[in-house]
Amino acid sequence: MSEQPHAAHGDDHGGHHGSRFIQHHYDDAQHQFDSGKLAIWLFLAQEVLFFSALFVAYILYRHHHPEIYAYAHKYLDVKMGAINTGVLIFSSLTAAWAVRAAQLRQKTLLVACLAATIACALGFLVIKYFEYTHKIHEKILFGRYFDPCVSSGNTPLITKGNECPGTKSSIVWDKATGAPASGCFPNAALDLDPRTPHVQADCKVFEVQGTESTKDGKVVFAEKGRKEIIGRCFDPVFGPGGGLGLAPNATIPAQTYPCWKTNANPHVCKGGWFFTWNCAGLLCEKTFGGEGPYATQTACQEQRSAKNGMLGGQGTATVTDCTTGGASGFVVEYGDHTVRKGNVRIDSVCKTPAPPVAVADPLADKVQVLELGEATTTNVRPLTHAEEKAAMYAGPPPPHTNMFFTIYFLMTGLHGIHVLFGVFVFIWLLIRATKGHFTPDYFGPVDFAALYWHIVDLIWIFLFPLLYLIH
Amino acid sequence: MATAHHDDHDDHHGISHTASVKVLLGTGGALLMLTIVTVLATRVDFGTNINLAVAMLIAVIKATLVVLFFMHLKYDKIFHTVIFLSGICAAALFVGFTLMDSGQYQQSNIWDIDNPPVAPVGPRPTGG
Repeated sequence: MSEQPHAAHGDDHGGHHGSRFIQHHYDDAQHQFDSGKLAIWLFLAQEVLFFSALFVAYILYRHHHPEIYAYAHKYLDVKMGAINTGVLIFSSLTAAWAVRAAQLRQKTLLVACLAATIACALGFLVIKYFEYTHKIHEKILFGRYFDPCVSSGNTPLITKGNECPGTKSSIVWDKATGAPASGCFPNAALDLDPRTPHVQADCKVFEVQGTESTKDGKVVFAEKGRKEIIGRCFDPVFGPGGGLGLAPNATIPAQTYPCWKTNANPHVCKGGWFFTWNCAGLLCEKTFGGEGPYATQTACQEQRSAKNGMLGGQGTATVTDCTTGGASGFVVEYGDHTVRKGNVRIDSVCKTPAPPVAVADPLADKVQVLELGEATTTNVRPLTHAEEKAAMYAGPPPPHTNMFFTIYFLMTGLHGIHVLFGVFVFIWLLIRATKGHFTPDYFGPVDFAALYWHIVDLIWIFLFPLLYLIH
Repeated sequence: MATAHHDDHDDHHGISHTASVKVLLGTGGALLMLTIVTVLATRVDFGTNINLAVAMLIAVIKATLVVLFFMHLKYDKIFHTVIFLSGICAAALFVGFTLMDSGQYQQSNIWDIDNPPVAPVGPRPTGG
């Protein structure tokens, strides 16, 4: 291109009819543009190599573990990915159009195209934000943080971390009966043996410290801190119908209720029953309480109760269980979230056990009585491909599924960083465009940024089918 | 610089090629259509490998459209195509060489702490 004669050549960099952004060390606008274009293409070739490392990781792991990809892609939302693909393609169109507008001195159109590109880029990032937060929420993460709450077919899973949030795992107590109505304690048989899968309700229980105030007639509980109640215990406590307001010498049926135990007491018992240990010096004061009309027994009453044999024979209720400190006034939080007493409440984060996967036994209709002589076999229907897949998605992830999400987050994360960088570049271009910097002989920055933006789109064009559209 | 431009034909008079509106809209429309096609193609079961091949074919077509028209490579200097393709070729070599011996270490490529790969049995020491 430099074979063109340069009439106004060389040193006249003072306001000749040309853009004031043409640097004096270039022969002319053409020379400056071509230099920039060469540089951006070298950069784009480098970008291809940069991303290729992650594509190698992807290809290698998919080659070795197709089962992981077949399972894990189901966690991704094709709709979100497809919308994002459309958004990026549209932004590529506006970016390409911005170049044309700059070349043709269409300032308003240029500003509009740049603004549309920025809007699309931000839209892409917002959709990505929703995808990422959903995955963080459900623990569908990379490396050792992969501990999903659901299978890729959306079946609840019991997780190692036991921290799945959401309504599916919260306890709701029936206000009238005080019995757990739903959630992780469907019945008293649950929670008995933590080693039994599908019987054990998987919960984390927290003692929540807070302050209570009354606002507009409602009790407002402001959380100040929480402490996990660890270690499940199985303590004898007073059963329903006993304990409070009993006549002296009444016998109380000793029942066993599951409860939760802090490493330093108190014990928290479900179903509205609780008791705490308040230790002051050597003297332990036991406080008992129950559901219904809120009541506690003082130490004095407890002594009377003990004298009446209420604690007789219940070996675990000994003074040696006590440690100093610990909160008093425990209540179990009810489904109506009423804080019954004091400034402490119990919160639980529970996980319902995974229901058994309802998959037809593929051999069920193959059981036949074969008789000698005649051919008595009948054709049996094998599982269809779709049924096999549904069964796979309902089950737990295959080993090392975390690898898929390590690669997913690396690829989409690096791509997302590129999108974010593009937003800043296009904002800079937008500002310059509004100032009228870009002219037909100086539009290199718009062109080069658009080329960068197209490469970002190009990478996504491959990421979308490779991550979201696995068959 | 020429100031009068016609929307419907490509312009070569400026310092760089100007894409026509027709080309821009055509490319954008084709890309969106191909995105819909690739999503729909996933719903049809051709078998895992063919589904993958179809998805990759569509992606390559889309990428080619972007590079040729949005990125002006069709009208650009051939040297820029050389640079870009050399980048892609280097990436292809990278993938190819990495996959070449991938059959040799399948067991250990994701380390399972409970089930470490068996150490290869070497020749027994002789003598003694």
